[in-house]
Amino acid sequence: MAPALCAICNDSRALIIRPKNHQKLCKACFVAIFEAEIHHTITTTSLFSPGDRIAIGASGGKDSTVLASVLKTLNERYNYGLDLVLLSIDEGIKGYRDDSLETVKRNAVQYDMPLKIVGYDELYGWTMDQVVEAIGKKSNCTYCGVFRRQALDRGAKMLGIKHVVTGHNADDVAETILMNLLRGDLPRLARSTNIVTGDESSEVRRSKPLKYAYEKEIVLYAHHKKLDYFTTECLYSPEAFRGSARSLIKNLERVRPSAILDVVRSGEDMAKLVPEQVTGISQCKSQKVSLSSADGEEEGAGGCGTNGRDSGGEMADMEKKLKEDEKASSREVDITSAVSSQTSGQRHDRIPIKPESGKTRKQESSRKLTRQTLGTCKKCGYMSSQEVCKACVLLEGLNKNRPMIEIEVDAADEESSTLRRNMEGLALAAG
Amino acid sequence: MKKQPNKSALNLKCFCLYVATKTVKRMETYRVRGSTIKDQRKLLLPLSFGPSSSSLLQILDQHIEGQYARMNRSGYELFVVHIDVFLDPADRKDASELLEKYKSRFSRHTYSSFGLEKALLLDGIDWKALDVPGPEEAESKKPATERLQHLLGSMSSATSRADIASTLLTRLLVDVAKRHDCESILFGESTTRLAEKTLTETAKGRGFSLPWQVSDGASPYGIGFNYPLRDLLKKELVTYTSLTSPPLAELVIFQEKSSNISASSKTTTIDDLMVQYFESVEENYPSIVANVVRTSSKLKSLTGNDNKGCGLCGLPVAEGTDGIYGWGGDQNSDSRPAREDDQYGVLCYGCSRSING
Ligand SMILES: [Zn+2]
Ligand SMILES: [Zn+2]
Ligand SMILES: [Zn+2]
Repeated sequence: MAPALCAICNDSRALIIRPKNHQKLCKACFVAIFEAEIHHTITTTSLFSPGDRIAIGASGGKDSTVLASVLKTLNERYNYGLDLVLLSIDEGIKGYRDDSLETVKRNAVQYDMPLKIVGYDELYGWTMDQVVEAIGKKSNCTYCGVFRRQALDRGAKMLGIKHVVTGHNADDVAETILMNLLRGDLPRLARSTNIVTGDESSEVRRSKPLKYAYEKEIVLYAHHKKLDYFTTECLYSPEAFRGSARSLIKNLERVRPSAILDVVRSGEDMAKLVPEQVTGISQCKSQKVSLSSADGEEEGAGGCGTNGRDSGGEMADMEKKLKEDEKASSREVDITSAVSSQTSGQRHDRIPIKPESGKTRKQESSRKLTRQTLGTCKKCGYMSSQEVCKACVLLEGLNKNRPMIEIEVDAADEESSTLRRNMEGLALAAG
Repeated sequence: MKKQPNKSALNLKCFCLYVATKTVKRMETYRVRGSTIKDQRKLLLPLSFGPSSSSLLQILDQHIEGQYARMNRSGYELFVVHIDVFLDPADRKDASELLEKYKSRFSRHTYSSFGLEKALLLDGIDWKALDVPGPEEAESKKPATERLQHLLGSMSSATSRADIASTLLTRLLVDVAKRHDCESILFGESTTRLAEKTLTETAKGRGFSLPWQVSDGASPYGIGFNYPLRDLLKKELVTYTSLTSPPLAELVIFQEKSSNISASSKTTTIDDLMVQYFESVEENYPSIVANVVRTSSKLKSLTGNDNKGCGLCGLPVAEGTDGIYGWGGDQNSDSRPAREDDQYGVLCYGCSRSING
């Protein structure tokens, strides 16, 4: 059998089957079309303006490395006029970031981009290791997750940069859509498909230029461009809903390759169908919980690298809450409706909420939900759906329990370590 | 909370009452009221012989019987329709024998059955889009079953095949319902099935259509869609079929457990994956299943005047959102397959995906 020719140039041998649509392509055409598609996304959404300073959230992993490489290429090819900066976060977990930060430092040299590494110590006054020391291992994932969500925004602000791009890909977006359906979180479902969060008025906008790029194609691109990235052996187990959605997405892709893109499309369409005032979210209790843990946008997982997370926990917790709500509401049904108390017998606990029944609940939750638009934290000024963001709440708790003297000592330590790190960065960038 | 009802006689009766109550509650619009026999509403009940639609028939049969016992009349009558999706004559024979058993057990209602190939006669479908001769030119050609087989066989994946088949089935049901003056279709879909459907439709790019697929009320087809079993889990209905007396289970065709479905098999569909997924969620987190349905039922359909109907599924397609090309996720004309669908009328994203691969 003669080797198949590339479906685009009809000239070179096809060596790649595109994961997205199974088109057979040569290497050069694959690289070209991958870049052209991201250029298309950037231009059709008017993502950037000439002169913009853009921070690329760089973890050293494949997604952000490919993002940095492609943005550099496109910026030069199409004269975007962007000032690109790599921004990395150091959680302050001994040993955990060493390899990935080394990778980012090499990337800075390879792409000739300035690199800024900011530590949790600089941003919050606490490294993760110190948090663990203070509160124990048990709930440190909460802290790390909350801090992480804001870290890029805070880091960008420190640099005076108003736009952060992240490496979230189509798989991540699809996963988030399914996860929010499973969690019953319509407000976040509506937000999760936007390519940009925040607007001109926000201090820091966030966007995901790889929104439509398949993870498998990102890996292929990195491979064929011989990019230098760090393969994380992720110690972090995603929380149950996300983990569940993730394996579902992988299976869907195997059954029908277009499925990832199709989920993203469905998500965009469904966002328009979410009623403006999402009233009648009957799970006001669980809603409150999920909101307060979701300051800013929570998309794309990301681990803190500390172990000990019970991965089934989140689903079980929600199941429990939903059941309690059902119970409470079925009692209301019994009071308001003689028929149901007569017929449902001893099975009160199995009667789910009827939307008409819990009037008071409904009003209660709609009041809560009106405050649900993304605003800014009163204390620190970063994107938050609450008056005081979760990070500030956690920090207040941490700081209260911390003896004054210790803060001073640590602050001094932090300064010197930051300085040292910056020196390292400089040294590498120069060499 | 108990997962399975106790087999003691009291709990058994109680469980059946629970299932019936939850269903009948959803039928409140069809109470007897002050109506005369003349106003009696006709409702189409699609019977697939599975546990859910069979249970629905059993429950509503008793409901109607109760209405007669108390008031000597009923608020609605049922038109039970079986659509034969299997084309093999032996399967068809089995199906018609089974339908006879249902008829003699629930003899109050009228029954009818149609082969899925009857959908090829519908004139509301843009047959050109499917590359199939329309009803007017079809008569002289091959038998309808053969043409249907050819049509489904030409789809690029098992998922597309199942998608088109279920779309044709819905359209055929709507057509039958309208021709028989039915006011609504009573789908036998459980909470679990509606949760499956929420994610399946999302995964097939049909997220836009969810308001019409999981919510009770008027459908865009000019006929009501109702889901009276929406508050019951699939496993509860399966249990129910064995607890009625005589057991309904002897008439029911149960699907095999989905535990050995593999994503790497060519015949596995997105629908199969979701059945398998929710089977496990239902086992451990039944309230989460119900919550998925409550969530998707809150989506509101877009009401626009310039919406055209999709040439295949018939659902309204908002201006400029038809087809799989020309949206944000379609970034490059070079990545399109050679075949363009310009010559066709409007197709929604989901139908276009199934046809164009
Ligand atoms: Zn080529
Ligand atoms: Zn804050
Ligand atoms: Zn359609």
